[in-house]
Amino acid sequence: MIQQSTLRQAIDQAIVRGATWISEDVLAALEKAQSIETNPSSKKGLDQTIRSLYLSRDRQVPACPDTGWPLFFFKIGNEALLEGGLTALKTLTQEAVAAATARGILRRTMKHPLTGYDPGNNIGENIPWITTQFVPGDEIQVTYAAKGGGSEVFGGAQSRMVAFADGLTGIRKFIIDAYTAATRAGAICPPSILGVGIGGTANISADLAKEAACLRLIGSRHPEAAFHELEVTLKDAINQLGIGTMGAGGKTSVLAVHVEYAYTHIAGISVSISSNCFVARRGTCCVHADNTLEVRENPNWFGGR
Amino acid sequence: MAIYDLKAPFRDEDICALRIGDQVTLTGEAFTCRSKLQRTVFDENKKLPDRYRPIRTLIHTGPIVNVYQDRYELVSFMPTSSVRFEKWGARSVREWNLQVIVGKTTMGPDTMAAMKAYHCVHLSPQSVSPNLWLDSIRILGVNWFDEMGSIEAPWLLELDRLGPFVVDIDTEGNNLFDEMDLHVQENKLNVYKSLGIPEDFKPTKLH
Repeated sequence: MIQQSTLRQAIDQAIVRGATWISEDVLAALEKAQSIETNPSSKKGLDQTIRSLYLSRDRQVPACPDTGWPLFFFKIGNEALLEGGLTALKTLTQEAVAAATARGILRRTMKHPLTGYDPGNNIGENIPWITTQFVPGDEIQVTYAAKGGGSEVFGGAQSRMVAFADGLTGIRKFIIDAYTAATRAGAICPPSILGVGIGGTANISADLAKEAACLRLIGSRHPEAAFHELEVTLKDAINQLGIGTMGAGGKTSVLAVHVEYAYTHIAGISVSISSNCFVARRGTCCVHADNTLEVRENPNWFGGR
Repeated sequence: MAIYDLKAPFRDEDICALRIGDQVTLTGEAFTCRSKLQRTVFDENKKLPDRYRPIRTLIHTGPIVNVYQDRYELVSFMPTSSVRFEKWGARSVREWNLQVIVGKTTMGPDTMAAMKAYHCVHLSPQSVSPNLWLDSIRILGVNWFDEMGSIEAPWLLELDRLGPFVVDIDTEGNNLFDEMDLHVQENKLNVYKSLGIPEDFKPTKLH
């Protein structure tokens, strides 16, 4: 049986890693972008950002003061047994977020939406937000993704219903227009990882987009040819826009485009985008049935990508 | 583009000499600001403490600060998006006598007009590199900490060559990102073409 204290350690590790550590795939993409960049401002901006990210790892301090909405993604093994039952996920994540906030690993970011009241510990109605997925096995894996305010608030997260009559053309146009507007003046901290969700209800496509942006590894590809082609063509097209690092102009305007989909109603196609800033952070830790911990680079949220 | 090391108190002519695209580092006192400070001062008519009055550099930011009994520790710092403070931007420039605003996402037409009239520039970061900036910032103190909390309280800072940041609004009313956006919009037309999106394509209106 998995002990609550062990799972709490895993959640703590996921938060620390998710706030301070930049994953290898993101770092490699940033270093590649830096090496090919010819715009001096963007090249320098990438260089300074990479140097700062290495310091965050070494000093174990936040990579960016915006440590985001506290979002947790659990993969729960079908045979996993948690001491006291799965309702402990809520209390354990709340305790871990409050403790990380007190240590300065997370900023006191969460407020009451109407009064602006600051609880001081990032705990409130429906926050932290937990997404669960049930998988074969007997382990519990937790991922913390720092979804920052900049990437979410300034147009980086948008949805639109596209008519079947408009099809792929309508989908592509919405994505290009939405991303272009969102990156103006470096608003969403480009070059982003752009997640796209297609199909389902509005919230399903929005969830898929967010998870594609935050949980898929850069370099991963959708297994279906039509969606992989969409990922490649959108990435190439956006990188022709000349947005660059923080809107300074340059060759790399998006680090990756990840598309996920759901079947949809014949009435229409919900399309959502979700952008993750180029300081894209996630931390994943797994508790095995024998209560050992394993830090993982890949949340493997979409079954192999 | 030129690089300027600006040291407070700034001379008006030095601020007016800056042009969009110039790189700037800042030395001297500054204070931090988010919505709660502006709402408190401008909407609730509470007086900005006298200690802040001579300071003419405002930084839009929500830092992480660990508070100990005898000291403050700045853990992380990054300029944050200015456009959400547009509502109070012009009043801030005018009534706080600002010469420099550091933020992100540039600002809107009302604030730009005030910046032109009162000689103030807006600076933006071109990286997300808080760890390279921390050594350039010393916390001098804070007011309204209990009321506003650590992100929104106006921190008094001593800067030592903080930056470099790029001038994105100058005192002539120019906006660097408006110019950048013209290029992006031009490129977008080619991108439509490469994706097979017809120039006259109009999405079907569903509601």
